[in-house]
Amino acid sequence: MRYATFMAIPFRSTTEPPEGTGHAPERQPLDLREAVSFDPTCEVSVATTPVEAGTMVRLEGVRKSFGDNLVLDGVDLSVDPGEVLVIIGPSGSGKSTLLRCVNLLEPIQAGRILLEGEEITRKGVNVSAIRQRIGIVFQQFNLFPQLTALDNLTLAARRIRKIPRREAEARAHELLASVGLKEKAHQHPHQLSGGQQQRVAIARALMMEPHVMLFDEVTSALDPELVGEVLVVMRNLARDGMTMLIVTHEMQFAKEVGDRVVFMDGGRIVEEGPPRDVLDNPKEERTQQFLRRTQLSHTLEELTIDEEGGSE
Amino acid sequence: MNLAVAFDWSFLTENGDELLAGLRRTLEVSAIAIAGAFFIGLVLGAARAHRVPVVSQVAAVYVEIIRNTPILVQIFFLFFGLPQIGIVLEPFTVAWVAVTIWGGAFNTENFRAGFEAVPHRFREAGFALGFGRLTTFLNVTLPIGGRIALPSSINTYISVVKNTSLMYVISYPELTTTALNINALTLQTVETFTTLAVTYLIIVWTMSASIRVVERRLALPEDAR
Ligand SMILES: Nc1ncnc2c1ncn2[C@@H]1O[C@H](COP(=O)(O)OP(=O)(O)OP(=O)(O)O)[C@@H](O)[C@H]1O
Ligand SMILES: [Mg+2]
Repeated sequence: MRYATFMAIPFRSTTEPPEGTGHAPERQPLDLREAVSFDPTCEVSVATTPVEAGTMVRLEGVRKSFGDNLVLDGVDLSVDPGEVLVIIGPSGSGKSTLLRCVNLLEPIQAGRILLEGEEITRKGVNVSAIRQRIGIVFQQFNLFPQLTALDNLTLAARRIRKIPRREAEARAHELLASVGLKEKAHQHPHQLSGGQQQRVAIARALMMEPHVMLFDEVTSALDPELVGEVLVVMRNLARDGMTMLIVTHEMQFAKEVGDRVVFMDGGRIVEEGPPRDVLDNPKEERTQQFLRRTQLSHTLEELTIDEEGGSE
Repeated sequence: MNLAVAFDWSFLTENGDELLAGLRRTLEVSAIAIAGAFFIGLVLGAARAHRVPVVSQVAAVYVEIIRNTPILVQIFFLFFGLPQIGIVLEPFTVAWVAVTIWGGAFNTENFRAGFEAVPHRFREAGFALGFGRLTTFLNVTLPIGGRIALPSSINTYISVVKNTSLMYVISYPELTTTALNINALTLQTVETFTTLAVTYLIIVWTMSASIRVVERRLALPEDAR
């Protein structure tokens, strides 16, 4: 049973030394039932994918540069409906930029991006309508600080979709319950832990009923003990059939939840394939190097600063 | 002889009506100017923060001129300068226009600073949800930046109230002018200035107290800045 397997995974934060170094504090397998009190009766419907759409997201030869700095160097990628794509790679390899381009937060210089078969990078698209079909969650939760969790969820629905407050709030309460925050609806972000804030941020993105969700290192700013509760929410979302593009350093999570892993370096996709292949038996030298570093499976002396990074 | 004994209370009973009329004019001019300064600050502050072409530059020049010249000179300009080019304004008009323009300039800076202090990531969260540029301003930048700008803009409003007393120079009979006129007749200097000081104190204290309530209500948590 997949669920049981998942429950037994001791999630490890990248900030913590791995097992075997001897100094790591005893890490209990995370019991997710305890970490997050989900309402099991609460069924939240996420937007189901239209059958006719072949691919959900497709990038064709996408190039993006900031000034002279070429950040995405001809990226081709397609993500099927319901697929969970995990993107890994060293710092500066363009992972965040890739997600931001998909959400039209950054313009691209060449190539094109399609969402459900529709080119969204062409001139004259309705950017607002496109973005409503794409949810994004950032590393820094970016909840509106002056609003309660509930209002954070309903704001866009009420103001953009013109959904009546009662209806929006009913849906928001459902979503908050589904991320285990039923009781926190009327709290402000500063009254919530990082993990709770991030779950509110996920729920807020889901409010717009996106067809695809983008996650940019959503657990990187969290204390290690709060990582699990956020990953559980994402895992549940993946199970519900949400199409997801996830940038993460949580390799264990990538293996459990990812359908496919993409390794990026220097603005290019270096290797891609099923998690077991890419993460356990990487073919490319750069992938192997990167994974060695993240696992810190050798001593610190072996590592040099310039080992990662440069394109080519 | 202490002040309480020296204070001739009949000063108030004899001149009460006139003083109240002056106070009413002070409050009237202040209210108009505060509302005006709020809108000028909001619009021009937003234009400055978002670098709206032309409007932003014009606003910058306006702010520089007003902030770097004495308000007395500005009042004289409106009252004595404009008639030279055929624009004659009533003292009442000069009174509210002068403090509105003055408060608007300072408030433009207050709001500009407030809007610029809103972390870009909040705006980006707005865009990501599907808000456009204007609606992101209205739903994200304004509520957050407006709160950040609140304390400084309130200080501007308080200064606006106090600056209405300068309308003495154009003989607009607001509170100060009225009191000084009474003083010229009665020579009750202690009564005149005590009454003036206490009245302004009450107005300003009331403003800052109510504002503290508003501030506490709207306050952003520290980490939200
Ligand atoms: N707004 C920007 N302006 C200029 N350069 C940028 C901007 N955003 C990103 N970059 C540059 O683009 C490159 C890729 O950045 P990006 O944030 O996409 O990397 P990343 O893979 O997400 O890295 P990390 O793991 O550190 O988050 C970096 O060299 C970065 O300096
Ligand atoms: Mg990044």
